[in-house]
Amino acid sequence: MNSLILILILIFGGGIISFLLNKFLPILRDAFVVLVMLAISYLFFTIDHAEQFDFEIGGISLQWGFTYAGYLFGIIVAGLGFLSILYSTAFMKGKDRLGYFYMNFLFSIGAMFGILMSRDLVSLFFFWEIMTWSSYFIVIYSGKEVNGRGLKYILFSAIGAYAMLMAIVILYGFIGSFMLEDVFNSIYALSTGYQIAIAVLLMIGFGVKTAIMPVHVWAPDAYSESPMAYTALFSGALSKMGVFGFALVLFNLVSGQNWLINEIVAWLAAITSVLATFYAVIQKDAKKLLAYSSIAQLGYIVVGLASGTYLGVMAGIFLAVLHAVFKGTLFMAVGAVERQAGTTDMTQVSGLIRKMPWTFFATLISIITLAGIPPLGGFVGKWMLYEALITSDRYYLVIMIFLSSTAAFLYSYRILFGLFLGQEEPEFAHVKEAPLVMLIPMLLLAGISVLTGSFPGLVMQPIQEAMLVLGFENRLPDMDWWQLTVLFNTWGDKVVLQNVMISIMGVFLVALTFITIKGYKKQRYVTTKDISSSGEIIQPEDNMTFQIDFYKPFERAIWPMLKRNIDTYYTEFGNGLEAFFDFVKRIYNGNGQFYAIYVMAFLALLLLAGSEYFGF
Amino acid sequence: MNTILFEILGAIATILLAFTVGMFYGGARRKIIARIQNRVGPPVYQNFIDVIKLYSKETSIHHGAMQHMGPVFAITASVTSLMFVPVLNGGGWFWFDNLSFSGDLIFLVYMMVFGSLGMALGAGQTGNPNSAIGVTRGLSQMVGYEIPFVMSMVALMTQFHTTSITGMMEIQAQSGTWMMFSNPFAFITAVLAMLGMFHYSPFDIVHAPAEVASGPVSEFGGKYLGLMMSSGSIFAFVKLTLFVNVFMGGASNLIELVVKTFALYMIPVLYGVTSPRYRTEQAITYFWKWPLFFGVISLLWAAF
Repeated sequence: MNSLILILILIFGGGIISFLLNKFLPILRDAFVVLVMLAISYLFFTIDHAEQFDFEIGGISLQWGFTYAGYLFGIIVAGLGFLSILYSTAFMKGKDRLGYFYMNFLFSIGAMFGILMSRDLVSLFFFWEIMTWSSYFIVIYSGKEVNGRGLKYILFSAIGAYAMLMAIVILYGFIGSFMLEDVFNSIYALSTGYQIAIAVLLMIGFGVKTAIMPVHVWAPDAYSESPMAYTALFSGALSKMGVFGFALVLFNLVSGQNWLINEIVAWLAAITSVLATFYAVIQKDAKKLLAYSSIAQLGYIVVGLASGTYLGVMAGIFLAVLHAVFKGTLFMAVGAVERQAGTTDMTQVSGLIRKMPWTFFATLISIITLAGIPPLGGFVGKWMLYEALITSDRYYLVIMIFLSSTAAFLYSYRILFGLFLGQEEPEFAHVKEAPLVMLIPMLLLAGISVLTGSFPGLVMQPIQEAMLVLGFENRLPDMDWWQLTVLFNTWGDKVVLQNVMISIMGVFLVALTFITIKGYKKQRYVTTKDISSSGEIIQPEDNMTFQIDFYKPFERAIWPMLKRNIDTYYTEFGNGLEAFFDFVKRIYNGNGQFYAIYVMAFLALLLLAGSEYFGF
Repeated sequence: MNTILFEILGAIATILLAFTVGMFYGGARRKIIARIQNRVGPPVYQNFIDVIKLYSKETSIHHGAMQHMGPVFAITASVTSLMFVPVLNGGGWFWFDNLSFSGDLIFLVYMMVFGSLGMALGAGQTGNPNSAIGVTRGLSQMVGYEIPFVMSMVALMTQFHTTSITGMMEIQAQSGTWMMFSNPFAFITAVLAMLGMFHYSPFDIVHAPAEVASGPVSEFGGKYLGLMMSSGSIFAFVKLTLFVNVFMGGASNLIELVVKTFALYMIPVLYGVTSPRYRTEQAITYFWKWPLFFGVISLLWAAF
């Protein structure tokens, strides 16, 4: 049997079966979903790239099959999907409506595979909608503020879907085929206006899932409201479908001809990343912070793609893969804190480092990757992005990205300090480390972040394969992945990653040994209440926590930039619409007698004015 | 084997050089400030005495693993950045080029924040609210000064089509013009950013003794403080040498290096000694006014 079909049948069938299992045999449910996901991952990783599936429904021929570009993103979906399912078996333990949860979880993974393997616009749109709806059902899983947050998500998704549908219809009208290949080949026959219109419509559709400004407003709520086990996938993999779509549009539909589109997209993404970073800095809830940070990181990715240079696209996709890895870990870690300590509000919880050391370790590694500090993987992506922008003379864009990533240090520290460092509060003294099933996915993902720092070839070689599909030449030297450790830009400047790693590790180990050997045995641990306080003795009940208004001075400094919030514009637009509809409701008030009066009035008007205008 | 030994020897020699120069500069700063305030001041070698005293002290408490590793992170960053900055431009009496061909400016900019973040983690675990306040101030201020600094670096990179420090030094050696003259606005921007980078008055909001009791370092004593002082001196040397390499054509021997770096070092010292401390948001927005303006001009200068 064709393994593409097998994957889809397994995953959608598995979703339905897990729903039924939850009704009749809840004991087997967890084991079942993990096994289904394991089987799918195995099938996916052993798939034959030439495999295709053609069929016809209602006279429209459809085609499924992985290109290398789709396969690359599929690796994210399969890997992160398996790990987050594994994580959620422990995370969701004891919650209700688990059948509903797992069914939608598996459905959205299946839909993502579907998007990546579809080679025609109809199945792309079909799977896109399944993805939207299944993720919507999980966003409203908690049942809180369904009308506010859930509605915002589905509303923006619907706008995106309609934009996409319109583009598809226009394309079919001109080209007469839904096949992506035909579309890419004959798009240049269309007039420039239509080309731009189609590209913009498609990018609105993909931009909603990527959360690019101005259609990003759903993301902070939707990311933080879903169960964290799903948000790891939501932010890590599901948003990458938008990136995948952007790659298709930017390199196949507008490549080279309409450079202005590239520039506009890049600038929108850069502004998105700066503003989202600033919002992330002033958040109090770790989940919200990570949600805004996701928007900012996706901004970098789109900037890289829109730069259109070899190095920029490589950087964009590299960051996309890494974002799935480290943001997956971070959402899982925050989920672990939520489950163990009961809250992720950073003004309440603090000082968990000694209680949850492994969660802290995974968070630390991912935060270093997020901030782009050498020697971990994030640095590789950031370096390539900067060099790509500098060598293609986009100075102001570089400054924007730099502003955003320097401000990212602030929230990086905020989340580490807010949850794990700082004063140890007595009310969190009972907190225990997260169960092993939750730790394993986090630590595995953190391991990938570390590995890619010295051996970026592990990720860069699959990306190279994908970029060949997108129309770039091969610039990587022909060697195995563990040998590829020197990064070059187009001017010939380089970074030798292994020297960086050796230098940092060498100095670190020497200094650590030095400081540890000297009188370590005489040192004893003291609590966080035992601190220097200018002579006063701190009592156990004294509150020495500093968590509220953490970045107040910074907030004051950037306040002029945050005053205008696009969310309020949407709200005002909504209020305006509501007022308009109120007015309309007064006319169409549902009373038949009023309607009779309208008809009479219209007839009278016709009689009075008719002779003049219509001649009777 | 020979080459590895040579590399390690070079690293140690460079660290010793940076440590000595940085320590003497710190002492000189104390002396200069004292003379301006009409005091006698400590001797120039006072910082050496302090460090030796601190290392020989016994540390009896710790607050956990991250606090223990905080100063280690700091010195790792200083030494690693030192390894990637060429000390002299070719020849001279100091023939080690360490790893200066394995990294470029962008890498160095990121490497230089590694230490402050590691230190911030260490300070965070102590639980002292003053430390955390100091850290938040330091990070906020970093957003301020990094932007003009990067602007001036990007201006030079795009003007001369290289991102490596050695490449920039070669270009200056060939053309015979220092970069502070071939793009003067970039130099002005970078010097203004340097004021913040050194954390001296009026930008000493992180350590502000009267407000947050030395901020992040308040829980670190003995060997930890000693390690941090050494790290600070090495880091000061790294920053000054980087500026000399990029803007003043590097130095061909150690005396020239000392003269140039000392002249540069006097800018933040003398600016600071006559200025009172800014509030935190003032210290951030300071860099978003004139420095940003000069940064934009330097980018335009580079483009045309």
